[in-house]
Amino acid sequence: MNIFQVAISNLKRRKMKMLFLMLGMVVGVATVVAMLSIVQAMRLELGDRIDEFGANAVIIPRSEGLELSYGGTVVSDVAFEVQTLTMDDIPGIYESDVVQYINIVSPKLIGAVKVGNQNALLVGVETKREFTQKPWFSLREQAGVSTREKVGDLALLDVPEDGLILGPSAARVLRKKAGDTLDLNGRTFTVFGVLNEMGTEEDGLIYGNLAVVQGLLGRPGELSMIEVSAYCNFCPIEEIVAGLSGALPNSRVIALRQAAMFRYQTIDQFSAFGFALSGVVLIIAALVVLTTMLSSVNERTREIGIFRAIGFRRVHVMEIIFLEAGLVSVFGGVTGYLFGSVAARVAGPFLAQLQGSIPLRLDLILPSVILSVVLAVLASAYPALKAARLDPAEALRFI
Amino acid sequence: MPEIMICMNDLKKTYTSMGDEVQALRGVSLDIYKGESLAVMGHSGSGKSTLLSILGGLNPPTSGTIEIDSIDLYALSQEKRADFRREYLGFVFQQFQLIPYLTAIENVMLPLTTTSNSNKVKREMAEGVLCRVGLAGKMNRLPNQLSGGEQERVAIARAIVNEPPVVLADEPTGSLDTKTGDEIMELFQELNQEGLTVLMVTHNPDNTRYMGRTILMKDGQLCTDKAEILQLVSGKKR
Repeated sequence: MNIFQVAISNLKRRKMKMLFLMLGMVVGVATVVAMLSIVQAMRLELGDRIDEFGANAVIIPRSEGLELSYGGTVVSDVAFEVQTLTMDDIPGIYESDVVQYINIVSPKLIGAVKVGNQNALLVGVETKREFTQKPWFSLREQAGVSTREKVGDLALLDVPEDGLILGPSAARVLRKKAGDTLDLNGRTFTVFGVLNEMGTEEDGLIYGNLAVVQGLLGRPGELSMIEVSAYCNFCPIEEIVAGLSGALPNSRVIALRQAAMFRYQTIDQFSAFGFALSGVVLIIAALVVLTTMLSSVNERTREIGIFRAIGFRRVHVMEIIFLEAGLVSVFGGVTGYLFGSVAARVAGPFLAQLQGSIPLRLDLILPSVILSVVLAVLASAYPALKAARLDPAEALRFI
Repeated sequence: MPEIMICMNDLKKTYTSMGDEVQALRGVSLDIYKGESLAVMGHSGSGKSTLLSILGGLNPPTSGTIEIDSIDLYALSQEKRADFRREYLGFVFQQFQLIPYLTAIENVMLPLTTTSNSNKVKREMAEGVLCRVGLAGKMNRLPNQLSGGEQERVAIARAIVNEPPVVLADEPTGSLDTKTGDEIMELFQELNQEGLTVLMVTHNPDNTRYMGRTILMKDGQLCTDKAEILQLVSGKKR
């Protein structure tokens, strides 16, 4: 017989009360585990999605500009000393310090072309790179594919050398559909496909193969811009911009900060909300422990009096109370971890609009138990102190 | 000359209740000798339970001193006093006061819980005293599976398991029938004959037959009126 066995025996006797105590811990720990699991899954998935969706940085030719204004109104702005961006600059990106972050490099040349008597914007791209970088681009119609058949995945299709892809607005204005021919600056092309409506200015563009467009516009090797997407789950975008700027001195690198900021803000806001909610639940759990242990001490006044009378020190009485709370909280921590993990898996995809499943956070088992034990011990401190301070003479009704 | 085991010197105890001062003890001085058995009698409110709680190190007196085996009990710190209780005193409480969720042997082992003995030694000691009080076959029963007399025996076994020199008993036969009460008193008598100093608070005059000496408490003081003591011991009302 030792203090530990006394605590165990009492726990066995007060099963319902201890179950209630454990439930408090389970709810507290489960909320924290679920929140942490969901937030981490969100971070990973949102990060992946943003890496997948579009560029993190745009490289454009360096130029100096002058803005002429009169009475607060911009009358004219002039660009001079415009540097040229060419295909030869691309290897520089792969030789930069930040190459480990680089995912897709998509060069493009933009120019105006004459289609009949109308002007249109033609964009030369390396189609596979461009459409892999922008997976929201998809075909509405494809040459040689009937309306009943499924069109191909744009990022995987080989666009023929003389093939063009029209934005839906451009196709409507030019009255062209997939399979039609189109004359640009006197050269005949075939409309390979028409894009689905996206509601952006890209709907009005015509896409062609980069090398062909460079030839057509008389600007061989020249580029208007290079869009770079990075594996930017945890990387600082500023670091990538600095690295690219260093590698390409004749260009200006612009970070699409907004996307990165938006991503972090969204996750941070959700995390803050999650942690605040967890904090409130933990406080409630601590109060449950406090009231349960306090009522347990009040019920056991006489028993504690006996312990003290037969030679238990105050510290022994406190030890019993802490051991009881600690033992219950160990089970509470493990059960809370299991419930939290299951809750995150079941409710996470709905709560956080996640597409993938939420991975099991095995690294949270030990912290869950520690959190539960620390919380229970802290919440039991007052009841334990109260028990230790009980006057044995009063407890045994000697007075 | 027998050796003094307990020496009480001018013990006073005052309680404050609802703003009024109540003098529970008004200067009690008493010596109890090693191996003596003493019955403390008195009406309700005479101060005998207060005397027992002070003697047990549970209730500091307002003034006066008490020495057990030449150790000034209330000069010790609270925690040291707990150690003292464990080593020097055995308590037999009113209504047995067993822990309901522990078996008979676990209840008996309770005072040994905080000692450094191994579990095996603790169990052997508890088995020994349970056999001594005649409960060899009922060691693993819970208190509610035992009769009143058996529970009292467990309470006595718990009081003597750590071999204290002094046992303090508060109305040990109060909730027992006469026959069982007599058996318990015989057990106390045997323990006293084995060398244990026994101090017992009792209402029952019959119990004094088993005790070596009887004192009477009246209004917080020791009553020295021999006629009154005799009257009380003989069980006659005044």
